[in-house]
Amino acid sequence: MAGTQHLLEVKNLTTRFHTEDGVVHAVNDVSYTLNEGDTLGVVGESGCGKSVHALSIMRLIQIPPGEIAGGEVIFRGRDLLKLSDDDMRKVRGAEIAMIFQDPMTSLNPVKTVGFQIMEALMLHKGMDKASARERTVELLTLVGIPEAAQRVDDYPHQFSGGMRQRAMIAMGLSCDPSILIADEPTTALDVTIQAQIIDLVKRLQHKFGMTVIWITHDLGVVAGLARRVNVMYAGRIIESGPVKEIYANPHHPYTVGLLGSLPSHGGRTSARLFSIPGEPPDLVGLPPGCAFAPRCQYQTPRCFKETPSLEEVGLGHTAACWEKDKVRRV
Amino acid sequence: MINYIIRRLIMVPFLLFGVTVLIFLMLMALTPVERTALYVRDVPRNERVLQGIIKKYGLDKPWYVQYWRWLFGTTVTTTENGVTTVEHVGGILRGDLGYSRTASQPVAELLARRFPASLELTLYSVVPVIAGGILLGVIGAVKHNKLADHIVRIFGIVGWSFPDFVFGLLLLMAFYAGTGWFPPGRVSDWANKIIMSPEFRNYTSLITIDALLNLRIDIFLDALRHMVLPVITLAYLWWALTLRVTRSSMLETLRQDYITTARAKGLSERTVIRQHALPNALMPVVTLGGGTVVGLLSGVVIIETVYNYPGMGAAAARAASQLDVVTVLAFVLFNGLILVLANVVVDILYAYIDPRVRLD
Repeated sequence: MAGTQHLLEVKNLTTRFHTEDGVVHAVNDVSYTLNEGDTLGVVGESGCGKSVHALSIMRLIQIPPGEIAGGEVIFRGRDLLKLSDDDMRKVRGAEIAMIFQDPMTSLNPVKTVGFQIMEALMLHKGMDKASARERTVELLTLVGIPEAAQRVDDYPHQFSGGMRQRAMIAMGLSCDPSILIADEPTTALDVTIQAQIIDLVKRLQHKFGMTVIWITHDLGVVAGLARRVNVMYAGRIIESGPVKEIYANPHHPYTVGLLGSLPSHGGRTSARLFSIPGEPPDLVGLPPGCAFAPRCQYQTPRCFKETPSLEEVGLGHTAACWEKDKVRRV
Repeated sequence: MINYIIRRLIMVPFLLFGVTVLIFLMLMALTPVERTALYVRDVPRNERVLQGIIKKYGLDKPWYVQYWRWLFGTTVTTTENGVTTVEHVGGILRGDLGYSRTASQPVAELLARRFPASLELTLYSVVPVIAGGILLGVIGAVKHNKLADHIVRIFGIVGWSFPDFVFGLLLLMAFYAGTGWFPPGRVSDWANKIIMSPEFRNYTSLITIDALLNLRIDIFLDALRHMVLPVITLAYLWWALTLRVTRSSMLETLRQDYITTARAKGLSERTVIRQHALPNALMPVVTLGGGTVVGLLSGVVIIETVYNYPGMGAAAARAASQLDVVTVLAFVLFNGLILVLANVVVDILYAYIDPRVRLD
């Protein structure tokens, strides 16, 4: 395999949902690449399409009412969107694993945690029950669950929130996937537990050289974990680049707004919290042009007519904005 | 888990005690004259004789004494022609439930004859109800809004809305009056003669099983023939209900996050449904199932009437229509017992399926 081949190439991914209220354009023309060992953060507010794009990569979208309307997802040279169901199932869990936001609802309450991890091992690694159990105990210990040998037979409700998420991480890692997609895994946890989980993933990533896509709405999390970030809005990537670079020099008004919304430590305590005026657009019937235009302080007539595409603003740093040269961090 | 089972079983005597108290209270609403049927066959009209009987069996004593005696029996002294006999009579715990005016036999005997009939009908109905209902409910949910789902839903609604006696009569007309294949009743006369004769050994009181054990295939087939229509009619109603509950529960379960997680692991859809969705979806069905079985066991009056099937339902209905309170109350007591036991079984099944319940 050539050293320059990307591990994952997402090209023009478009996902729609056909609902009673109309067609929801959840993911619009998303393209990016991922190399082995990368940590990519995908940031945006609720409804921007970050989770849906990940589910589309995994082909976990319910069809109908969903529809992956276009694009390619090239993983190790194969387009996942064109694979048969059987072949895709071999990829899920084994080569690309996904963990989810709320570990209480994401784990089956009537099956032991051990069983839920062993399943994947027995399916993808062909292990028998005894070896799968042994490996499961190892994994649970690895993610920091004490007394793993006993806990393996416990049910999800017998674990605390942080422990459950660790168990989910163990489940995700169990078959040594190339890519781990984490869909807001810390959103449902307290801040202190959040830090622990992030720390855990960083250590594991370092240890196994795993590639991670971390989806979150929290810019603080991204800063602590990712090397590159895609900022999404209304189903599109509107800015992409190295984390440090984007935080220092954002070139999209939305990114500026996001960064500005972070409460700062040193500011006056009586200062009002900044929020971006307006509301995210309705994804049914998106008007032409830039989706952020109505809320944007740099808006021009062109913004309402033509949709900007991602263009270079720095090394490995792109932004989709007609006024990107004017945009400055406040 | 064992702890849970033991705790549930310990509750049983208390629950049964509660049931007996309730029944007893209802019994005490009767006059002493009416309650003599607990002990004697023919309630005399003669006032003096009546009073004598009431005194003899202590039917005028305080309620706690009567409750005790109702449970455990009374010692009565009878002097007849100079001969004094002391005997212990009555007591539901001794198996004496009184005498049934309408059936002209001791209630216990009536129950012993009628219950196996209802039980047999239940046993043959339960399998299609539960297996068919669950299976179709799952199919409907998995193929949501597709043709299979629509067919399943139609079956469900028709089954639930169609009055069972109309359905039963239609079946009778078509398959008995029309073709003579499936007659009403429990067995044909010729088979009945054999069953009543001493050569036929009564192992279980379930005619189909006994027939096989007695190596009489002809009686087995005869009994089966008679059961086809009542079972279909009986099963259809409950099967429709099970189907609908399973389907909606399954639809709900399939929307849960852990189903997405299971799919994300690369499990086949079949495995996802069987291992992950079904155990969760079945919980309301288990609750319903307990009630269904109890309902079936107590005998379904309408079905038994339409098909002239000698089960508990028909006997209870006839006793009720003639105000044979003692008989009716005995049936209620028996049903209470079944209900208590069925609930224990349901609770245990629940704990087996849902581990969160076990830690209570």
